[in-house]
Amino acid sequence: MNDQAVQPLLSVENVSKSFGGVQALRDGTFELHRGEVLAIVGSNGAGKSTLIKVVAGAHVPDGGRIVINGKEVPRAEHSVSHMQECGIEVVYQDLALVPNMTAPYNLFLGRIPRKLGIFVDERKMREKTREVLAQLNVTTVQDLSQPISSMSGGQQQSIAIGRAIAWGSDIVILDEPTAALGPNETAEVERLVEDVRERHGTSFILISHNLDQVRRLADRIVVTHHGVTSREFRRDEITSDRLVKAITLGE
Amino acid sequence: MTETTASRQILTPKRVEMLREYVPFIAIALVILMFWAISGDRFMSMRNWTFIAQQTPVLMLLAFAQLMVVTTGSIDISIGSSLAFSAFLGALGMLWFGDAGLILGVFAGGLVGMVNGLIISLLKIPSFVTTLAMLIIVRAVVIIVSDGTAIYITDGSVSGGTNISSVTAPWLLSMGKFPAIFIIAAIVALLTWIFYEKTVFGQQLRAVGGNEKVLRLVGINVTTFKIKVFAAAGLMVGLAACVNLARAGAATPQAGLMIELDAIAAVALGGTPLTGGYGSVVKTIIGAFTLTIVRNGLTIAGVPPSWSQVALGVLLIAAIAISLNRSKVDVVK
Repeated sequence: MNDQAVQPLLSVENVSKSFGGVQALRDGTFELHRGEVLAIVGSNGAGKSTLIKVVAGAHVPDGGRIVINGKEVPRAEHSVSHMQECGIEVVYQDLALVPNMTAPYNLFLGRIPRKLGIFVDERKMREKTREVLAQLNVTTVQDLSQPISSMSGGQQQSIAIGRAIAWGSDIVILDEPTAALGPNETAEVERLVEDVRERHGTSFILISHNLDQVRRLADRIVVTHHGVTSREFRRDEITSDRLVKAITLGE
Repeated sequence: MTETTASRQILTPKRVEMLREYVPFIAIALVILMFWAISGDRFMSMRNWTFIAQQTPVLMLLAFAQLMVVTTGSIDISIGSSLAFSAFLGALGMLWFGDAGLILGVFAGGLVGMVNGLIISLLKIPSFVTTLAMLIIVRAVVIIVSDGTAIYITDGSVSGGTNISSVTAPWLLSMGKFPAIFIIAAIVALLTWIFYEKTVFGQQLRAVGGNEKVLRLVGINVTTFKIKVFAAAGLMVGLAACVNLARAGAATPQAGLMIELDAIAAVALGGTPLTGGYGSVVKTIIGAFTLTIVRNGLTIAGVPPSWSQVALGVLLIAAIAISLNRSKVDVVK
């Protein structure tokens, strides 16, 4: 990889954030390139959640810079909707979907197409949903009139990821995407991530406690320790041992 | 259910699920058949059904208001007082501005709803407590404003010279009779169905009831939405109040006492879980009719009013026990 020649898609520089008197994030720094899967790992409270929430726009950072496609995000415009406009979507581990609503509704969450100003354009929603599911190679979701609570965890996560990529976003943040899933469903979601990356060139930021998964999916791994992004590894240079040491001791 | 092979095959989980969907329809059919068997033609007469068709609309509209709120996972128990307040302001409006002043009644309901919504959303007080407080406050306001007296709607034939609090509006009184009241109710029901099933707003009612946090995460302003929901429900209560004014021919300070409970019961009889996320306009209509028919049937059968209340309560528990799909409700509390 020739990092120097290519401008990074996303560059996070010395970002900090504190809540009340607690400094959750002291120095968050990383770069993300097009089509790359970057994992952020760290023990609980190491600041990785805060870091991705800042990137997602949910928290406004106290200091530091976030540059997307060469353009710095002004602090005043730092919001979820601005980050979405910049092409950043988040798949939250358990808060991503409305369980009693259908797959099309969830895919279009916050973007429901209208007819005559007030009516739901259901046909458009169904067509687009079929399109997205086909793009994702998800064949198991057939009945689009069922609430998604009647689907398996893997299918639900597919729809959550489908929502993240359906609107042409460049960067998808996966927050513990398989924490609540069984082994088969985990494999299904991992296949989906690989697939989307290959076909759409989407970049992923993966937050995971599953170090095997991290080593399977990620090109690079950033370790956060005590609110600092302390180490960075390439997939080929990392062993589980070193990773665990970096996570627990910060070395 | 006996554990015979036949019943095991007939009652597959999928069929039980389907059956559950039809509980409100089965319940109303059974109730009608039962009263027909008990009271015969006294129940199954044109006259009695005209009476039922006249009795149900107000409750039905109130149940629609309740349905909207309940679908989002909240509850509105202020609607009985709001009904009295709205009817009174509607009548006052007619006194002040003539016939068109009746519209004031609708807006009065909308105002009470909006205040509910503002308190719930901005002060973050649960809807049950907020609307309970409003139930008390608004009823008191009606009594203060009306000074305990009623405003009558007259058809002009009786000239009550000494009674200053009366409005001559024969058109309104005829609106309160069958078939006009029934046609109005049918039109409102159709519009409500379209609103609830086909609009983005209606869909969002269910989504808020399903998982409010997700909607906030994707940037939907749930706070303003809830204020709108309570205001919309309030407008519906205001409309119900105007219909009630037409039917009763008077705006009294006691109007709508305890009717909030009937409205909630009608929604529940329609198989809508009070925990939010699901609901049906058609089944709510069935629920409102079931409630009216049971009350009417028991009266005709000669059951004393107190016992008929007991019977209604039992019916409510039975209907919910059968129709509530517990797999759709996380925690029963």
